[in-house]
Amino acid sequence: MSLPLLLFIAFAVILILLLAWAVRPPKKMLLSVDDVFTALSEERHYARLPQILQSLREEDTEFLRVGGHQELAGRLRAERKRIALRYLNYLEDEYQLLLEASRILARIAPEITPLHEFERLKRNVRFVLCCRYLRWRLRLGLQPWNVFGTISDMEGDLTLRLETATASLGERATMASEFPLFLEKGRSDDTK
Amino acid sequence: MVEPLSLQNLAWALTTVLEVLLLFCLLRRKLHRSHPAFFAYILSTIFQSMAAAIAYRHWGFQSIQSWNVFWVSQGVVVCARWLAITEIARTILANYSGIWKLASRFLFAVGIGVLVYSVLAIQNSWQSAVLNADRAVELSIAAFLVVLLLSARYYRVPIATLERYLVIGFCLYSCFWVIDDSILAHWRAPLAGLWGFLDVVTFFATLILWIRAVQESTEAAPVTAPAPVSPETHAKLSLEVNTRLHLLNKQLDHLLRAKDSRS
Repeated sequence: MSLPLLLFIAFAVILILLLAWAVRPPKKMLLSVDDVFTALSEERHYARLPQILQSLREEDTEFLRVGGHQELAGRLRAERKRIALRYLNYLEDEYQLLLEASRILARIAPEITPLHEFERLKRNVRFVLCCRYLRWRLRLGLQPWNVFGTISDMEGDLTLRLETATASLGERATMASEFPLFLEKGRSDDTK
Repeated sequence: MVEPLSLQNLAWALTTVLEVLLLFCLLRRKLHRSHPAFFAYILSTIFQSMAAAIAYRHWGFQSIQSWNVFWVSQGVVVCARWLAITEIARTILANYSGIWKLASRFLFAVGIGVLVYSVLAIQNSWQSAVLNADRAVELSIAAFLVVLLLSARYYRVPIATLERYLVIGFCLYSCFWVIDDSILAHWRAPLAGLWGFLDVVTFFATLILWIRAVQESTEAAPVTAPAPVSPETHAKLSLEVNTRLHLLNKQLDHLLRAKDSRS
């Protein structure tokens, strides 16, 4: 059998597998527009990044090792690894929430910018892959504890930028006035 | 032992009965109003069966006249099928104008792209040109439908049970047709009878799936279209969401780089 014919058969089989995957009922519950925008206006997990990074620094547990408390240092590291994994889960949840928000936006949009959608899809794939990779590294105990010296300072800047972006998103939504609940939430946040 | 041709005739007859049954089910449920293209497609398959039966009776199974009648009618059926799947795609995405505008362009690009590739990939004699074109069309239909389902899943667009089963039926039928065609292209004459039989059996299974879906379909409550936002607002919000996604990605990058620098 020639290669093109084999490719046709392989393509057809791949399409059948994709079809089986695509018709599965979605795992996650659908959120309403209000749910998503309310959640978006809540406190974000990325604000915890400096603390997480600090906890992963080797200096934070080194003094215990030097002091002869090996077991305690080990326990602390295991605990911090668990926290880092939880942080990663939160980060992923937040990412999924943003994606959900973008999907809702797409559903109510009269026109969608293909470039935005493509960029989002590309980032989504990359994020999911990186997240899995990082999670497995942490689980396998490959996490470092000593290399975060200056990174936490960088994260401070990143966190600030994220906060700015969130505030900007809130402003846009308030301007839009199509999301009354979010608008209300935004106002109550401003008065705090 | 039953000859493959007899078995094929039997399956063919049963398939025609099922086609008529499906047509009645569509009429009884008044689905011919909401799905006129699908109704027309089923009607075209019945006419094809009739035309082929008359041609085989007059000119015989192996004659060139029968071959012409079958493939001309197949062209009509394939056009009707394209119209039916376009109708299904529009039904699924009609309430989401933004997604529909984007997806329709993408879906047709995928369909035409696969079609062109499939035609160009096989450069055989003119003898098998019809078979190649037929396979190309079926593959593009399957690709179109899979991309449609993936898009609907990505944007969490709800799909009614009837549309879901119609898409599954069309897609499975097209995929199996591609596999059948490819096998036939390799072995040709020895398996021609089996190819015809497999084709009829695949369509038979598809019809059973559709009849079940039509019988179980209820008067669906009209899906309320979400209130649209202005294009400017959407563009701004979309950009902001993308910025935040980008920043979250960068955050993950920092974590990754931190990990990598150790190892």
